[in-house]
Amino acid sequence: MQLDFTARELTVKLVYYGPALSGKTTNLQAIHKLVHADASGRLMTLETRDDRTLFFDLLPLSFQAGAGLSVRLKLFTVPGQVIHDATRRLVLQGADGVVFVADSQRAETRANQRAFLNMKENLRENGMQPERVPLVIQFNKRDLPDIRTDDEIDALSQKSPEPVYKAIATRGTGVVETFLGLMDRTWLHLEKEHGLEQKFDLEPSRFLKEVRHRLGFTRRGES
Amino acid sequence: MTQGQTSAIDLTLGDLARLEEVVDREALSDVCRSFFELFGLSIRVLSKDGTLLADVHQEREICQYVNRLPAGAAACARTVAQVKTATPDGAPVLLPCFTGGRYRVEPIRYQGRQVGRFVIGPYLPAETRAVPRSLLEIDPGVVDDDALRALAEMPRVRPETAGRLAAHFRKVVDLLLFSSHRAHLTSEMHVASVREGYRELAEKTANLQQAYNRLKELDKLKSNFLATVSHELRTPLTSIIGYSEMLEAGIAGDLAGEQREFVETIRRKGDHLLALITSLLDLSKLEQGALRLQREPLSPKALLDEIVTTFMPRAREKSVSISVDAADDLPAVDGDPVRLRQVLSNLADNAMKFTPEGGSIMLRAVETDLVGGEDGEMGMVLMAAARPAIRFEVADSGAGMKQEELTRIFDAFYQVDGSSTREHGGAGLGLSIVKRLVNAHEGEIHVTSEVDVGTTFSVTLPAVETDL
Repeated sequence: MQLDFTARELTVKLVYYGPALSGKTTNLQAIHKLVHADASGRLMTLETRDDRTLFFDLLPLSFQAGAGLSVRLKLFTVPGQVIHDATRRLVLQGADGVVFVADSQRAETRANQRAFLNMKENLRENGMQPERVPLVIQFNKRDLPDIRTDDEIDALSQKSPEPVYKAIATRGTGVVETFLGLMDRTWLHLEKEHGLEQKFDLEPSRFLKEVRHRLGFTRRGES
Repeated sequence: MTQGQTSAIDLTLGDLARLEEVVDREALSDVCRSFFELFGLSIRVLSKDGTLLADVHQEREICQYVNRLPAGAAACARTVAQVKTATPDGAPVLLPCFTGGRYRVEPIRYQGRQVGRFVIGPYLPAETRAVPRSLLEIDPGVVDDDALRALAEMPRVRPETAGRLAAHFRKVVDLLLFSSHRAHLTSEMHVASVREGYRELAEKTANLQQAYNRLKELDKLKSNFLATVSHELRTPLTSIIGYSEMLEAGIAGDLAGEQREFVETIRRKGDHLLALITSLLDLSKLEQGALRLQREPLSPKALLDEIVTTFMPRAREKSVSISVDAADDLPAVDGDPVRLRQVLSNLADNAMKFTPEGGSIMLRAVETDLVGGEDGEMGMVLMAAARPAIRFEVADSGAGMKQEELTRIFDAFYQVDGSSTREHGGAGLGLSIVKRLVNAHEGEIHVTSEVDVGTTFSVTLPAVETDL
């Protein structure tokens, strides 16, 4: 997080993490398509080869959150391929919240686990405590055959400390819910850590309403 | 974190620190020039702190005209200063000039932040018909007709057109910024990734080095332990053997048939145990590099003859023929006589063990070259200097070995026949000691073998060099 009091400007970094080809970039593309045009900058894709992210994707969002506060959200994806671990660690630096995009296909279960352990390890390497980082988990690719069933995921999410979302990012389904879910947790966390409510005179519920409104997610977020 | 932004934060957030760090000024100037050529309007781009990044303008006739008048020049300077410092906050700012012209100052925003501004103008509002009062009154020298003529040359723009032109230019600059920023981030990220990868590797290498050092230390401890234990075992064993020999010799009185047999067994097994302990001690000395060779010129043929003499009784007993094939005038070998005898005896002993009745053992010595360097190594033909050498061969007509066994026979404690009930005794140390002894002589040892045909060990050792 970056806070500029004189400019009343808050910059928040959100990172989409997950195994290779789980749909991180597709999540960003879907948000880019759904968000209000005047709140979104261009989706920046840094170096790709064969449709695979080499460095990162970046979607900048910005809006006025009321009370004179200007909010900038930076949505990043990490490169999922195993060999880009150093880059993943760099992109994860300074993350205020993380979406873990898992691949719902049964065959990808191990890859999900490995990527998750790798994320925890990289958070630790960056001097962060994984348990303290706001996190939501998304099971993507719900439209594919041979996936982990809804019942299975629902039963597990009952016991999960972090919210779990289901998505079909290629169709934009569940993408906004995941994003708003993370925004919610991240704001609460930042509020607790930095007392944002007092500093900016912004209640959490009002802030989130502003986020939905300004980004054009009102109907979706409230449904 | 509030003010002093470091490049680390820029990279973490993917932010643009300063317009001028990212945007190529030449490219920006080209865009401005093209805008000017197309619409005939002067345009300037400034960074957030007011640095002029691109400037394509034409001095208008009216400007030249008022600048010739003292009060006009002063008023012009005031207007220009105003334009330069105007900071539009979100929306564009329109600044009027006393000549009736307009300047349009537009913010350049990028990723939710204002990073600079651009100025279009001066231009005349399209509806201007007469010389404005502000111009006529600025200096007593202003002449209405002259001013009107000069104003006629100024480009005229309708307000909505000005807005559209500004929007167009904003889009072009935004695209330029985006592309430049992306290129900038890519290269920054590339360098950062390489650096991070290097840091990680260096850390791992340091850890491995530490583990390696620790293992080396442990290995040394193990060798020391082996040496100490062997030494401590040897002392009481020497007494056991000594007293058995005395008993055998009848020093303590005559022994009855079975008693003698038992004492003989004790002595024989004692000798065997002593040989094993001695090999352990040798191995640990060799591993520690503590073995010192006493080298001298040795005759290859004499060495082999000696071995044959030693093994002849066993060969006869087993009905195995053993012979030497070596010329008398071979160059002398440069070696430690005790250790070379150990090497050759060990090989002959092996050959004896594995050659069945009626078989043969041949000990050979021939002149050869010893070529240093690994086979197939790059530039080996240049790097390796050949030295005169002697190759000893111990060939038997025994059972032979399989290819996969050949690669392991020089490992310590390896036994070709690993079973507990194996036919041939030994600790599996013989060949590993032989190899180490040969290496200590800067020599080489090789083995070739064929199942049911026999095995040949060849040991190549440097000869004494006479012509150097």
